[in-house]
Amino acid sequence: MNNENDSAWLTQATTALDESARDLDAATLSRLNRARQAALQQKRSRRLSWMLPAGLASACAMVLAIGVWHGAVREPELPTLPNAELAHSVNWSNGADDLEMVANEDNIELYQDLDFYAWLDTQNQEHDG
Amino acid sequence: MHQLLTAINEQSWTARRVDTVKADERALDQFLKAVERRALRMADMATGNREEALDLVQDAMFGFVRHYAAKPSAEWAPLFYRVLDSRLNDWHRRRQVRSRWMSFFSSAPADDEMDPVAQAPDLQEPGPLARVAGNEIGQALEAALVRLPLRQRQAFLLRMWEGLDVAATAVAMRCSEGSVKTHLSRALAHLRRDLEAHYE
Repeated sequence: MNNENDSAWLTQATTALDESARDLDAATLSRLNRARQAALQQKRSRRLSWMLPAGLASACAMVLAIGVWHGAVREPELPTLPNAELAHSVNWSNGADDLEMVANEDNIELYQDLDFYAWLDTQNQEHDG
Repeated sequence: MHQLLTAINEQSWTARRVDTVKADERALDQFLKAVERRALRMADMATGNREEALDLVQDAMFGFVRHYAAKPSAEWAPLFYRVLDSRLNDWHRRRQVRSRWMSFFSSAPADDEMDPVAQAPDLQEPGPLARVAGNEIGQALEAALVRLPLRQRQAFLLRMWEGLDVAATAVAMRCSEGSVKTHLSRALAHLRRDLEAHYE
């Protein structure tokens, strides 16, 4: 047997090695399977150690984002007055009237001279009286 | 709204990541399944003891998954055998230390279980290779491989049986490519000499 004939006996040798690896008994194969699963389980455990916090963080971020978004699209609440009696005296439902008043330029001038009209009204009443 | 989209993207990223991780795990399982039998046979020949060989292969799987599973799959084979080679070297080192202690206390009666000679592989007993081959050649090949020094046997098995190239074998054996060639050349010379009569 010389160096040139290596390929022939090497082929036979590797074939024999392949067969010895292929024909392992069931108990040995079972041990190998358990060893492989244990190694993979170790990887799963290590992965869970960071995936669980990451998942929780994602869920919290989602809830927070929904909360912020929901709050942003809601109508702003009207301010409440601390005194119930005072609150009762103010009619907040007249917002439409206020808007109409502000929108009309003539009305603004009228309301700016309310004091004058009030004095004029007083004068008329005295004159009538 | 932007925050909501960001959160949704994050959720879908996590889902994609889980899918990727599952695919990686399947690939890793397939790889380990493909190499475990050869690894066991290598450990068999190194230790001469099936139980010890199984423990070493399991250790190698754990070490490989812990340190190298994140590497590209193309690099897995040399890295797995690197871990196995390391475990085999450790096993031999421990065995040598134990032998030294035993020789130091040689005057004391040695327990059979601790006797390194008793624990050494029996070259006359037909190993798995010989049993499979079922003939004289198989037995001679098994005996010749067991007789090889560990580094030469690893170089032969990784290059000729596992099919790693010189560079990958050097990675697995943690040595230079020149050392791999030297170990392999010597291994082939030993095997040629031991098997000459059987293959002519």
